[in-house]
Amino acid sequence: MKILESSPGRYDMGIRILTLGRLDGVYDRLTAYIIKGQKVLDIGCGSGALTLRAAQKNAKVKGIDINPLMLEIAQNRANEAGLTQNIELCEMGVAELGSEESESYDVVMSGLCFSELSEDELGFTLKEAKRILKIGGFLLIADEVRPKNIFKRIVNWLIKIPLVIITYLIAQTTTNSVRNLPERVEEAGLQIESVRFNKMGNFIELVARRPEETTK
Amino acid sequence: MNLHYLIVYLVETLLRFIPIPCKTGLIKIGNPDSNSPVILTCNYHLTVEKVRRALDGMDVNLLVANSRGINVWCSAAGGLFTNHDVVSVLKTSGIEEIVDHRNVILPQLAATSIEGNIIQKKTGWKVTWGPVYADDLPHFIKNNFKKTVEMRKVKFSLVQRVEMAVAWAFPITVIMIPIMSIFWSSAVFSLTLLIWFLSFSIFVSFPLYADYLSSEDKRIGIAFFDFSRSGFHLILWGIVVLCLVIYSVLIGDFSWRFIFSWGFISLIVVLILSLDLMGSTPVYKSSLTEDRFLKVALDKNKCNGCGFCEQVCPRNCFEVDRNRHIAAMPEAVRCVQCGACIVQCPFNALYFRSPEGEIILPQTIRKFKLNLMGKRLVKVKEN
Repeated sequence: MKILESSPGRYDMGIRILTLGRLDGVYDRLTAYIIKGQKVLDIGCGSGALTLRAAQKNAKVKGIDINPLMLEIAQNRANEAGLTQNIELCEMGVAELGSEESESYDVVMSGLCFSELSEDELGFTLKEAKRILKIGGFLLIADEVRPKNIFKRIVNWLIKIPLVIITYLIAQTTTNSVRNLPERVEEAGLQIESVRFNKMGNFIELVARRPEETTK
Repeated sequence: MNLHYLIVYLVETLLRFIPIPCKTGLIKIGNPDSNSPVILTCNYHLTVEKVRRALDGMDVNLLVANSRGINVWCSAAGGLFTNHDVVSVLKTSGIEEIVDHRNVILPQLAATSIEGNIIQKKTGWKVTWGPVYADDLPHFIKNNFKKTVEMRKVKFSLVQRVEMAVAWAFPITVIMIPIMSIFWSSAVFSLTLLIWFLSFSIFVSFPLYADYLSSEDKRIGIAFFDFSRSGFHLILWGIVVLCLVIYSVLIGDFSWRFIFSWGFISLIVVLILSLDLMGSTPVYKSSLTEDRFLKVALDKNKCNGCGFCEQVCPRNCFEVDRNRHIAAMPEAVRCVQCGACIVQCPFNALYFRSPEGEIILPQTIRKFKLNLMGKRLVKVKEN
Protein backbone atom coordinates (compact mmCIF):
# COMPACT_ATOMS: atom_id res chain seq x y z
CA MET A 1 0.00 0.00 0.00
CA LYS A 2 2.62 2.44 -1.17
CA ILE A 3 0.21 5.26 -1.93
CA LEU A 4 -0.66 5.49 1.72
CA GLU A 5 2.82 4.94 2.94
CA SER A 6 4.12 8.00 1.15
CA SER A 7 1.86 9.95 3.48
CA PRO A 8 2.12 8.06 6.74
CA GLY A 9 -0.22 10.43 8.53
CA ARG A 10 -3.13 9.14 6.49
CA TYR A 11 -2.05 5.53 6.37
CA ASP A 12 -4.36 4.12 8.99
CA MET A 13 -7.51 5.76 7.74
CA GLY A 14 -6.68 4.86 4.15
CA ILE A 15 -6.02 1.22 4.97
CA ARG A 16 -9.28 1.03 6.89
CA ILE A 17 -11.21 2.32 3.89
CA LEU A 18 -9.41 0.09 1.39
CA THR A 19 -9.92 -3.04 3.41
CA LEU A 20 -13.46 -1.99 4.32
CA GLY A 21 -12.66 -2.29 7.98
CA ARG A 22 -11.92 -6.00 7.74
CA LEU A 23 -8.29 -5.63 8.65
CA ASP A 24 -9.08 -5.04 12.33
CA GLY A 25 -10.78 -8.43 12.50
CA VAL A 26 -7.87 -10.12 10.74
CA TYR A 27 -5.33 -8.57 13.10
CA ASP A 28 -7.42 -9.48 16.16
CA ARG A 29 -7.65 -13.10 15.04
CA LEU A 30 -3.90 -13.31 14.42
CA THR A 31 -2.86 -11.67 17.66
CA ALA A 32 -5.09 -14.11 19.54
CA TYR A 33 -2.10 -16.48 19.34
CA ILE A 34 -0.03 -14.16 21.50
CA ILE A 35 -0.02 -14.58 25.27
CA LYS A 36 1.27 -12.52 28.14
CA GLY A 37 5.01 -12.23 28.59
CA GLN A 38 5.95 -13.62 25.18
CA LYS A 39 8.67 -12.10 23.06
CA VAL A 40 7.27 -10.92 19.73
CA LEU A 41 8.83 -9.51 16.55
CA ASP A 42 6.70 -7.38 14.17
CA ILE A 43 8.30 -7.23 10.72
CA GLY A 44 7.31 -4.05 8.88
CA CYS A 45 5.35 -2.72 11.82
CA GLY A 46 4.41 0.52 10.03
CA SER A 47 2.19 2.66 12.19
CA GLY A 48 2.03 -0.15 14.73
CA ALA A 49 -1.36 -1.82 14.18
CA LEU A 50 -0.08 -5.29 15.09
CA THR A 51 2.59 -4.08 17.49
CA LEU A 52 0.09 -2.25 19.71
CA ARG A 53 -2.32 -5.18 19.74
CA ALA A 54 0.44 -7.48 20.92
CA ALA A 55 1.68 -4.97 23.50
CA GLN A 56 -1.83 -4.67 24.92
CA LYS A 57 -1.61 -8.36 25.70
CA ASN A 58 1.47 -7.62 27.74
CA ALA A 59 3.86 -9.24 25.33
CA LYS A 60 7.30 -7.69 24.78
CA VAL A 61 7.21 -6.50 21.19
CA LYS A 62 9.99 -5.37 18.90
CA GLY A 63 8.67 -3.55 15.84
CA ILE A 64 10.96 -3.03 12.87
CA ASP A 65 10.33 -0.89 9.77
CA ILE A 66 12.46 0.93 7.22
CA ASN A 67 10.29 4.05 7.15
CA PRO A 68 11.31 6.45 9.94
CA LEU A 69 8.15 8.51 9.53
CA MET A 70 5.92 5.50 10.11
CA LEU A 71 7.97 4.58 13.16
CA GLU A 72 7.43 8.08 14.54
CA ILE A 73 3.69 7.57 14.28
CA ALA A 74 3.95 4.15 15.90
CA GLN A 75 6.00 5.65 18.72
CA ASN A 76 3.41 8.37 19.30
CA ARG A 77 0.62 5.83 19.39
CA ALA A 78 2.58 3.70 21.85
CA ASN A 79 3.07 6.75 24.05
CA GLU A 80 -0.62 7.61 23.94
CA ALA A 81 -1.63 4.06 24.79
CA GLY A 82 0.87 3.99 27.65
CA LEU A 83 2.51 0.87 26.27
CA THR A 84 6.06 2.11 25.83
CA GLN A 85 7.49 -0.35 28.35
CA ASN A 86 6.29 -3.24 26.17
CA ILE A 87 7.37 -1.80 22.83
CA GLU A 88 10.76 -1.36 21.22
CA LEU A 89 10.80 0.25 17.77
CA CYS A 90 13.76 -0.01 15.41
CA GLU A 91 14.53 1.45 11.99
CA MET A 92 15.69 -1.78 10.45
CA GLY A 93 15.02 -3.76 7.28
CA VAL A 94 14.47 -7.49 6.92
CA ALA A 95 18.01 -7.82 5.58
CA GLU A 96 19.31 -6.98 9.05
CA LEU A 97 17.47 -9.81 10.81
CA GLY A 98 20.83 -11.57 10.97
CA SER A 99 21.57 -9.48 14.07
CA GLU A 100 18.73 -11.16 16.00
CA GLU A 101 19.62 -14.16 18.13
CA SER A 102 18.56 -17.66 17.09
CA GLU A 103 15.50 -19.13 18.85
CA SER A 104 14.80 -15.92 20.69
CA TYR A 105 11.20 -15.14 19.73
CA ASP A 106 7.91 -16.79 20.65
CA VAL A 107 6.09 -15.08 17.80
CA VAL A 108 7.17 -13.44 14.54
CA MET A 109 4.37 -11.54 12.79
CA SER A 110 3.95 -9.34 9.73
CA GLY A 111 0.99 -7.40 8.37
CA LEU A 112 0.98 -6.02 4.80
CA CYS A 113 4.76 -6.12 4.54
CA PHE A 114 5.65 -9.28 2.63
CA SER A 115 3.88 -7.94 -0.47
CA GLU A 116 6.45 -5.15 -0.58
CA LEU A 117 9.49 -7.44 -0.48
CA SER A 118 11.39 -8.68 -3.50
CA GLU A 119 11.64 -12.42 -4.21
CA ASP A 120 15.11 -12.56 -2.67
CA GLU A 121 14.00 -10.62 0.39
CA LEU A 122 10.96 -12.82 0.96
CA GLY A 123 13.03 -16.00 0.86
CA PHE A 124 15.61 -14.47 3.18
CA THR A 125 12.95 -13.24 5.61
CA LEU A 126 11.22 -16.61 5.88
CA LYS A 127 14.56 -18.35 6.45
CA GLU A 128 15.50 -15.85 9.14
CA ALA A 129 12.03 -16.00 10.72
CA LYS A 130 12.47 -19.73 11.16
CA ARG A 131 15.92 -19.28 12.67
CA ILE A 132 14.92 -16.70 15.25
CA LEU A 133 11.71 -18.46 16.28
CA LYS A 134 11.79 -20.75 19.30
CA ILE A 135 10.78 -24.36 18.67
CA GLY A 136 6.99 -24.33 18.47
CA GLY A 137 6.96 -20.54 18.01
CA PHE A 138 4.37 -18.97 15.71
CA LEU A 139 4.75 -17.10 12.43
CA LEU A 140 1.68 -14.93 11.80
CA ILE A 141 1.13 -13.31 8.38
CA ALA A 142 -1.64 -11.11 6.99
CA ASP A 143 -1.08 -9.90 3.44
CA GLU A 144 -2.22 -9.35 -0.09
CA VAL A 145 -1.68 -12.39 -2.26
CA ARG A 146 -2.27 -13.36 -5.86
CA PRO A 147 -5.48 -15.43 -6.08
CA LYS A 148 -4.91 -19.02 -7.20
CA ASN A 149 -8.16 -19.34 -9.06
CA ILE A 150 -7.72 -17.84 -12.53
CA PHE A 151 -11.25 -16.42 -12.56
CA LYS A 152 -10.77 -14.70 -9.24
CA ARG A 153 -7.42 -13.47 -10.45
CA ILE A 154 -9.09 -11.75 -13.39
CA VAL A 155 -11.83 -10.19 -11.25
CA ASN A 156 -9.24 -9.10 -8.73
CA TRP A 157 -7.17 -7.61 -11.50
CA LEU A 158 -10.12 -5.62 -12.84
CA ILE A 159 -10.91 -4.26 -9.39
CA LYS A 160 -7.29 -3.42 -8.75
CA ILE A 161 -6.60 -1.60 -12.01
CA PRO A 162 -8.09 1.77 -10.99
CA LEU A 163 -6.29 1.54 -7.66
CA VAL A 164 -3.03 0.60 -9.33
CA ILE A 165 -3.31 3.51 -11.78
CA ILE A 166 -3.99 6.02 -9.01
CA THR A 167 -1.19 4.57 -6.90
CA TYR A 168 1.16 4.69 -9.85
CA LEU A 169 0.35 8.29 -10.68
CA ILE A 170 0.85 9.50 -7.16
CA ALA A 171 3.53 7.26 -5.74
CA GLN A 172 5.00 5.98 -9.05
CA THR A 173 4.96 2.45 -7.81
CA THR A 174 2.72 -0.58 -7.44
CA THR A 175 2.32 -3.26 -4.86
CA ASN A 176 3.08 -6.75 -5.93
CA SER A 177 0.93 -9.45 -4.46
CA VAL A 178 2.78 -12.42 -3.06
CA ARG A 179 2.57 -15.64 -5.04
CA ASN A 180 2.35 -19.06 -3.45
CA LEU A 181 2.92 -17.79 0.06
CA PRO A 182 1.87 -20.99 1.90
CA GLU A 183 4.20 -23.05 -0.32
CA ARG A 184 7.07 -20.70 0.33
CA VAL A 185 6.49 -20.80 4.07
CA GLU A 186 6.65 -24.59 3.91
CA GLU A 187 9.78 -24.49 1.79
CA ALA A 188 11.41 -22.43 4.51
CA GLY A 189 10.84 -25.38 6.86
CA LEU A 190 7.87 -24.04 8.81
CA GLN A 191 4.76 -26.05 9.47
CA ILE A 192 1.45 -24.50 8.46
CA GLU A 193 -1.20 -24.47 11.19
CA SER A 194 -3.97 -22.64 9.40
CA VAL A 195 -4.53 -20.66 6.22
CA ARG A 196 -7.54 -18.48 5.67
CA PHE A 197 -8.29 -16.58 2.45
CA ASN A 198 -10.95 -13.92 2.02
CA LYS A 199 -13.74 -14.51 -0.53
CA MET A 200 -11.79 -12.85 -3.33
CA GLY A 201 -8.82 -15.04 -2.61
CA ASN A 202 -6.55 -11.99 -2.60
CA PHE A 203 -5.93 -11.67 1.12
CA ILE A 204 -4.36 -14.31 3.32
CA GLU A 205 -4.21 -14.94 7.04
CA LEU A 206 -1.55 -17.50 7.67
CA VAL A 207 -0.42 -19.15 10.88
CA ALA A 208 2.67 -21.36 10.84
CA ARG A 209 4.88 -22.95 13.51
CA ARG A 210 8.49 -23.86 13.80
CA PRO A 211 8.26 -27.66 14.02
CA GLU A 212 10.04 -29.71 16.66
CA GLU A 213 12.05 -32.03 14.46
CA THR A 214 14.22 -29.23 13.19
CA THR A 215 16.27 -28.79 16.31
CA LYS A 216 19.77 -27.41 15.91
CA MET B 1 24.11 -2.17 -31.22
CA ASN B 2 21.78 -5.06 -30.67
CA LEU B 3 18.12 -4.86 -31.53
CA HIS B 4 16.80 -5.58 -28.04
CA TYR B 5 18.73 -2.70 -26.55
CA LEU B 6 17.71 -0.39 -29.37
CA ILE B 7 14.00 -1.08 -28.82
CA VAL B 8 14.29 -0.73 -25.04
CA TYR B 9 16.24 2.49 -25.47
CA LEU B 10 13.73 4.02 -27.89
CA VAL B 11 10.59 3.04 -25.99
CA GLU B 12 11.92 4.01 -22.57
CA THR B 13 13.29 7.32 -23.83
CA LEU B 14 9.79 8.18 -25.08
CA LEU B 15 8.44 7.24 -21.66
CA ARG B 16 11.36 8.75 -19.78
CA PHE B 17 9.27 10.36 -17.05
CA ILE B 18 7.56 7.13 -16.06
CA PRO B 19 9.34 4.84 -13.59
CA ILE B 20 9.96 1.41 -15.10
CA PRO B 21 11.10 -1.06 -12.44
CA CYS B 22 12.90 -4.30 -13.14
CA LYS B 23 13.76 -7.30 -11.00
CA THR B 24 16.15 -6.68 -8.14
CA GLY B 25 18.99 -9.02 -7.17
CA LEU B 26 22.17 -10.38 -8.69
CA ILE B 27 23.00 -10.37 -12.41
CA LYS B 28 26.20 -12.10 -13.49
CA ILE B 29 27.92 -10.46 -16.44
CA GLY B 30 30.46 -12.66 -18.25
CA ASN B 31 32.00 -15.32 -16.01
CA PRO B 32 32.73 -13.64 -12.70
CA ASP B 33 34.77 -15.53 -10.09
CA SER B 34 35.20 -14.98 -6.37
CA ASN B 35 37.48 -11.98 -6.95
CA SER B 36 35.41 -10.19 -9.58
CA PRO B 37 34.21 -6.67 -8.82
CA VAL B 38 30.73 -6.10 -7.42
CA ILE B 39 28.85 -3.16 -8.93
CA LEU B 40 25.54 -1.94 -7.62
CA THR B 41 22.90 0.07 -9.45
CA CYS B 42 19.22 1.05 -9.22
CA ASN B 43 16.31 -0.92 -10.65
CA TYR B 44 15.25 1.57 -13.33
CA HIS B 45 15.06 -0.76 -16.30
CA LEU B 46 16.85 1.51 -18.78
CA THR B 47 19.69 2.12 -16.31
CA VAL B 48 20.19 -1.62 -15.80
CA GLU B 49 20.23 -2.16 -19.57
CA LYS B 50 22.78 0.64 -20.00
CA VAL B 51 25.03 -0.70 -17.25
CA ARG B 52 24.89 -4.20 -18.72
CA ARG B 53 25.78 -2.82 -22.12
CA ALA B 54 28.67 -0.80 -20.73
CA LEU B 55 30.06 -3.87 -18.93
CA ASP B 56 29.65 -6.19 -21.89
CA GLY B 57 32.76 -8.32 -22.31
CA MET B 58 33.87 -7.99 -18.68
CA ASP B 59 33.44 -10.41 -15.78
CA VAL B 60 31.46 -8.55 -13.16
CA ASN B 61 28.74 -9.14 -10.58
CA LEU B 62 25.98 -6.57 -10.98
CA LEU B 63 23.61 -6.01 -8.06
CA VAL B 64 20.28 -4.35 -8.77
CA ALA B 65 18.83 -2.61 -5.71
CA ASN B 66 15.24 -1.47 -5.31
CA SER B 67 14.90 2.21 -6.25
CA ARG B 68 11.21 1.91 -7.13
CA GLY B 69 11.99 1.85 -10.83
CA ILE B 70 13.46 5.35 -10.75
CA ASN B 71 16.92 6.38 -11.92
CA VAL B 72 19.74 6.67 -9.40
CA TRP B 73 19.89 10.43 -8.90
CA CYS B 74 16.16 11.10 -8.73
CA SER B 75 15.39 8.15 -6.46
CA ALA B 76 18.31 8.90 -4.13
CA ALA B 77 17.52 12.60 -3.87
CA GLY B 78 13.82 11.89 -3.40
CA GLY B 79 14.34 9.42 -0.57
CA LEU B 80 13.24 6.38 -2.58
CA PHE B 81 16.69 4.75 -2.77
CA THR B 82 18.09 4.40 0.72
CA ASN B 83 20.63 2.59 2.88
CA HIS B 84 18.01 -0.10 3.50
CA ASP B 85 17.74 -0.93 -0.19
CA VAL B 86 21.52 -1.31 -0.50
CA VAL B 87 21.79 -3.37 2.69
CA SER B 88 18.93 -5.53 1.49
CA VAL B 89 20.44 -6.46 -1.87
CA LEU B 90 23.87 -7.11 -0.28
CA LYS B 91 22.41 -9.46 2.32
CA THR B 92 19.61 -11.19 0.40
CA SER B 93 20.95 -11.58 -3.15
CA GLY B 94 23.39 -14.31 -2.18
CA ILE B 95 26.41 -12.26 -3.32
CA GLU B 96 28.15 -12.92 -0.01
CA GLU B 97 28.43 -16.62 -0.88
CA ILE B 98 29.81 -15.85 -4.34
CA VAL B 99 32.67 -13.41 -3.79
CA ASP B 100 35.45 -13.46 -1.20
CA HIS B 101 35.98 -9.72 -0.97
CA ARG B 102 33.61 -7.16 0.54
CA ASN B 103 34.00 -4.17 -1.79
CA VAL B 104 30.99 -2.77 -3.59
CA ILE B 105 31.01 0.02 -6.18
CA LEU B 106 28.06 2.38 -5.99
CA PRO B 107 27.08 4.99 -8.57
CA GLN B 108 28.37 8.38 -7.45
CA LEU B 109 24.97 10.02 -7.84
CA ALA B 110 23.58 7.76 -5.10
CA ALA B 111 25.76 9.68 -2.64
CA THR B 112 22.88 12.08 -2.00
CA SER B 113 21.27 9.32 0.03
CA ILE B 114 23.40 6.23 0.63
CA GLU B 115 25.87 6.45 3.54
CA GLY B 116 28.98 4.33 3.09
CA ASN B 117 29.79 4.14 6.80
CA ILE B 118 26.30 2.83 7.65
CA ILE B 119 26.45 0.21 4.90
CA GLN B 120 29.83 -0.92 6.23
CA LYS B 121 28.62 -1.01 9.83
CA LYS B 122 25.52 -3.02 8.98
CA THR B 123 26.96 -5.41 6.39
CA GLY B 124 30.75 -5.26 6.47
CA TRP B 125 30.80 -4.14 2.83
CA LYS B 126 33.07 -1.22 1.96
CA VAL B 127 31.54 1.32 -0.40
CA THR B 128 33.55 2.87 -3.24
CA TRP B 129 31.94 5.69 -5.23
CA GLY B 130 32.10 4.80 -8.89
CA PRO B 131 31.73 7.12 -11.87
CA VAL B 132 28.58 9.10 -12.66
CA TYR B 133 28.03 7.42 -16.04
CA ALA B 134 27.92 3.69 -16.70
CA ASP B 135 29.99 4.15 -19.85
CA ASP B 136 32.98 5.07 -17.68
CA LEU B 137 32.79 1.82 -15.67
CA PRO B 138 35.22 -0.28 -17.77
CA HIS B 139 37.83 2.48 -17.65
CA PHE B 140 37.21 2.95 -13.93
CA ILE B 141 37.71 -0.77 -13.23
CA LYS B 142 40.86 -0.99 -15.36
CA ASN B 143 42.14 2.15 -13.67
CA ASN B 144 42.17 0.28 -10.36
CA PHE B 145 38.89 1.84 -9.16
CA LYS B 146 40.21 5.39 -9.42
CA LYS B 147 38.04 8.15 -10.83
CA THR B 148 39.28 10.91 -13.08
CA VAL B 149 37.89 14.41 -12.60
CA GLU B 150 35.80 13.97 -15.76
CA MET B 151 34.17 10.80 -14.37
CA ARG B 152 32.81 12.78 -11.43
CA LYS B 153 30.94 15.38 -13.46
CA VAL B 154 27.37 15.37 -14.70
CA LYS B 155 27.08 16.58 -18.27
CA PHE B 156 24.22 17.67 -20.49
CA SER B 157 25.61 16.39 -23.76
CA LEU B 158 23.89 16.60 -27.12
CA VAL B 159 22.67 13.00 -26.79
CA GLN B 160 21.14 13.74 -23.40
CA ARG B 161 19.56 16.91 -24.72
CA VAL B 162 17.97 15.02 -27.62
CA GLU B 163 16.73 12.38 -25.17
CA MET B 164 15.18 15.09 -23.01
CA ALA B 165 13.56 16.72 -26.06
CA VAL B 166 11.99 13.37 -26.96
CA ALA B 167 10.97 12.72 -23.35
CA TRP B 168 9.03 15.99 -23.27
CA ALA B 169 7.69 15.99 -26.82
CA PHE B 170 6.15 12.52 -26.66
CA PRO B 171 3.86 12.93 -23.64
CA ILE B 172 2.81 16.42 -24.76
CA THR B 173 1.90 14.99 -28.16
CA VAL B 174 -0.06 12.17 -26.54
CA ILE B 175 -1.99 14.61 -24.38
CA MET B 176 -2.58 17.33 -26.96
CA ILE B 177 -3.61 15.22 -29.95
CA PRO B 178 -6.94 14.01 -28.47
CA ILE B 179 -7.75 17.56 -27.38
CA MET B 180 -6.95 18.94 -30.83
CA SER B 181 -8.87 16.22 -32.64
CA ILE B 182 -12.01 17.41 -30.88
CA PHE B 183 -11.58 21.10 -31.57
CA TRP B 184 -9.54 21.25 -34.77
CA SER B 185 -8.96 17.81 -36.19
CA SER B 186 -7.37 18.94 -39.45
CA ALA B 187 -4.48 20.55 -37.55
CA VAL B 188 -3.34 17.43 -35.68
CA PHE B 189 -0.40 16.71 -37.95
CA SER B 190 0.84 20.29 -37.96
CA LEU B 191 0.55 20.39 -34.19
CA THR B 192 2.63 17.25 -33.78
CA LEU B 193 5.34 18.74 -35.98
CA LEU B 194 5.21 21.97 -33.98
CA ILE B 195 5.56 20.20 -30.62
CA TRP B 196 8.58 18.17 -31.74
CA PHE B 197 10.19 21.14 -33.46
CA LEU B 198 9.83 23.37 -30.40
CA SER B 199 11.02 20.67 -28.01
CA PHE B 200 14.11 19.99 -30.08
CA SER B 201 14.89 23.69 -30.53
CA ILE B 202 14.63 24.35 -26.80
CA PHE B 203 16.79 21.46 -25.67
CA VAL B 204 19.31 21.22 -28.50
CA SER B 205 20.06 24.95 -28.32
CA PHE B 206 20.48 24.75 -24.53
CA PRO B 207 24.20 25.73 -24.50
CA LEU B 208 23.32 28.99 -26.33
CA TYR B 209 21.26 30.35 -23.46
CA ALA B 210 22.43 28.19 -20.53
CA ASP B 211 24.64 30.96 -19.22
CA TYR B 212 21.65 33.27 -18.87
CA LEU B 213 19.68 30.85 -16.73
CA SER B 214 20.10 31.22 -13.03
CA SER B 215 18.76 29.13 -10.20
CA GLU B 216 18.53 32.19 -8.03
CA ASP B 217 16.05 34.07 -10.14
CA LYS B 218 12.62 34.42 -8.72
CA ARG B 219 10.11 33.23 -11.24
CA ILE B 220 8.60 36.09 -13.16
CA GLY B 221 5.21 36.26 -14.79
CA ILE B 222 3.13 33.17 -14.39
CA ALA B 223 4.14 31.34 -11.27
CA PHE B 224 5.06 28.06 -12.91
CA PHE B 225 7.43 28.81 -15.67
CA ASP B 226 11.16 29.11 -16.11
CA PHE B 227 11.38 32.27 -18.13
CA SER B 228 14.32 33.35 -16.16
CA ARG B 229 16.17 36.56 -16.91
CA SER B 230 16.54 35.98 -20.59
CA GLY B 231 12.90 35.30 -21.34
CA PHE B 232 14.40 32.87 -23.82
CA HIS B 233 11.20 31.04 -24.50
CA LEU B 234 9.31 34.18 -25.28
CA ILE B 235 12.06 35.01 -27.77
CA LEU B 236 11.69 31.57 -29.31
CA TRP B 237 7.95 32.03 -29.38
CA GLY B 238 8.43 35.39 -31.09
CA ILE B 239 10.52 33.69 -33.77
CA VAL B 240 7.81 31.08 -34.30
CA VAL B 241 5.17 33.81 -34.72
CA LEU B 242 7.44 35.70 -37.11
CA CYS B 243 7.90 32.52 -39.15
CA LEU B 244 4.12 32.13 -39.23
CA VAL B 245 3.71 35.66 -40.57
CA ILE B 246 6.42 35.19 -43.22
CA TYR B 247 4.93 31.83 -44.22
CA SER B 248 1.44 33.24 -44.64
CA VAL B 249 2.70 36.24 -46.61
CA LEU B 250 4.77 33.97 -48.85
CA ILE B 251 1.88 31.69 -49.71
CA GLY B 252 -0.13 34.86 -50.35
CA ASP B 253 -2.94 33.96 -47.98
CA PHE B 254 -2.35 36.19 -44.97
CA SER B 255 -5.02 35.96 -42.30
CA TRP B 256 -5.03 37.19 -38.71
CA ARG B 257 -7.05 34.17 -37.76
CA PHE B 258 -4.23 31.85 -38.90
CA ILE B 259 -1.55 33.88 -37.07
CA PHE B 260 -3.63 34.19 -33.94
CA SER B 261 -4.64 30.54 -33.60
CA TRP B 262 -1.18 29.10 -34.30
CA GLY B 263 0.47 31.80 -32.26
CA PHE B 264 -1.72 30.83 -29.32
CA ILE B 265 -1.13 27.10 -29.73
CA SER B 266 2.63 27.53 -29.99
CA LEU B 267 2.61 29.70 -26.86
CA ILE B 268 0.90 26.91 -24.95
CA VAL B 269 3.42 24.36 -26.21
CA VAL B 270 6.33 26.63 -25.27
CA LEU B 271 4.85 27.16 -21.81
CA ILE B 272 4.42 23.43 -21.21
CA LEU B 273 7.96 22.76 -22.38
CA SER B 274 9.24 25.42 -19.99
CA LEU B 275 7.39 23.91 -17.02
CA ASP B 276 10.57 22.59 -15.53
CA LEU B 277 13.28 23.34 -18.04
CA MET B 278 16.07 23.74 -15.51
CA GLY B 279 14.93 20.66 -13.61
CA SER B 280 15.12 18.67 -16.87
CA THR B 281 18.85 19.27 -17.00
CA PRO B 282 21.44 17.79 -14.66
CA VAL B 283 23.28 21.10 -14.43
CA TYR B 284 20.60 23.21 -12.74
CA LYS B 285 18.31 22.73 -9.80
CA SER B 286 14.63 22.55 -10.68
CA SER B 287 13.04 25.96 -10.43
CA LEU B 288 9.91 24.37 -9.01
CA THR B 289 11.46 23.85 -5.60
CA GLU B 290 12.63 26.33 -3.03
CA ASP B 291 15.70 24.15 -2.47
CA ARG B 292 17.45 26.09 -5.21
CA PHE B 293 17.98 29.01 -2.85
CA LEU B 294 19.98 26.90 -0.41
CA LYS B 295 23.72 27.41 -0.15
CA VAL B 296 26.23 24.83 1.00
CA ALA B 297 28.21 26.26 3.91
CA LEU B 298 31.49 24.95 5.31
CA ASP B 299 32.43 24.95 8.98
CA LYS B 300 36.19 25.43 8.71
CA ASN B 301 36.77 24.34 12.30
CA LYS B 302 35.26 20.93 11.65
CA CYS B 303 36.75 20.35 8.18
CA ASN B 304 39.62 17.91 8.07
CA GLY B 305 40.37 18.13 4.36
CA CYS B 306 39.54 14.44 3.84
CA GLY B 307 38.11 15.17 0.42
CA PHE B 308 34.90 13.09 0.48
CA CYS B 309 33.03 16.18 -0.73
CA GLU B 310 35.33 16.52 -3.72
CA GLN B 311 34.84 12.85 -4.59
CA VAL B 312 31.03 12.94 -4.63
CA CYS B 313 30.30 16.44 -5.97
CA PRO B 314 28.83 15.99 -9.48
CA ARG B 315 29.59 19.63 -10.32
CA ASN B 316 33.21 19.80 -9.16
CA CYS B 317 32.49 22.69 -6.79
CA PHE B 318 35.14 21.65 -4.28
CA GLU B 319 38.86 21.98 -4.10
CA VAL B 320 40.78 20.37 -1.25
CA ASP B 321 44.02 21.86 -0.02
CA ARG B 322 45.99 18.72 0.87
CA ASN B 323 48.71 20.67 2.65
CA ARG B 324 46.47 22.76 4.85
CA HIS B 325 43.93 19.93 5.21
CA ILE B 326 40.92 22.01 4.37
CA ALA B 327 38.24 22.09 1.67
CA ALA B 328 37.01 25.16 -0.18
CA MET B 329 34.23 25.79 -2.68
CA PRO B 330 35.75 27.97 -5.38
CA GLU B 331 33.02 26.92 -7.81
CA ALA B 332 30.05 27.16 -5.43
CA VAL B 333 28.07 28.91 -8.14
CA ARG B 334 27.78 25.59 -10.02
CA CYS B 335 26.12 23.85 -7.06
CA VAL B 336 22.83 22.08 -7.84
CA GLN B 337 21.90 21.54 -4.17
CA CYS B 338 22.00 17.76 -4.46
CA GLY B 339 23.29 17.52 -0.89
CA ALA B 340 25.76 14.68 -1.59
CA CYS B 341 28.71 16.51 0.00
CA ILE B 342 26.71 17.22 3.16
CA VAL B 343 25.46 13.65 3.50
CA GLN B 344 28.94 12.18 2.99
CA CYS B 345 31.04 14.53 5.14
CA PRO B 346 32.35 12.35 8.01
CA PHE B 347 32.94 15.41 10.21
CA ASN B 348 29.55 17.08 9.67
CA ALA B 349 31.45 20.14 8.47
CA LEU B 350 29.00 20.95 5.69
CA TYR B 351 25.39 22.10 5.94
CA PHE B 352 22.75 24.03 4.00
CA ARG B 353 21.94 27.63 4.74
CA SER B 354 18.79 29.28 3.39
CA PRO B 355 18.68 32.96 2.32
CA GLU B 356 16.81 33.72 5.56
CA GLY B 357 19.74 32.30 7.49
CA GLU B 358 18.05 29.04 8.52
CA ILE B 359 20.48 26.20 9.01
CA ILE B 360 19.68 22.70 7.77
CA LEU B 361 21.91 20.22 9.53
CA PRO B 362 23.49 17.13 7.93
CA GLN B 363 21.47 14.76 10.13
CA THR B 364 18.23 16.32 8.87
CA ILE B 365 19.28 15.86 5.26
CA ARG B 366 20.40 12.30 5.91
CA LYS B 367 17.06 11.51 7.46
CA PHE B 368 14.69 13.24 5.08
CA LYS B 369 16.86 13.37 1.93
CA LEU B 370 16.12 16.17 -0.46
CA ASN B 371 12.44 16.78 -0.65
CA LEU B 372 10.90 13.84 1.09
CA MET B 373 7.41 15.01 1.94
CA GLY B 374 8.69 18.55 2.25
CA LYS B 375 9.89 17.71 5.72
CA ARG B 376 13.41 18.89 5.24
CA LEU B 377 12.50 22.54 5.15
CA VAL B 378 11.02 22.32 8.59
CA LYS B 379 12.92 24.86 10.64
CA VAL B 380 15.78 23.34 12.53
CA LYS B 381 17.62 25.12 15.30
CA GLU B 382 21.35 24.81 15.40
CA ASN B 383 22.59 22.96 18.43
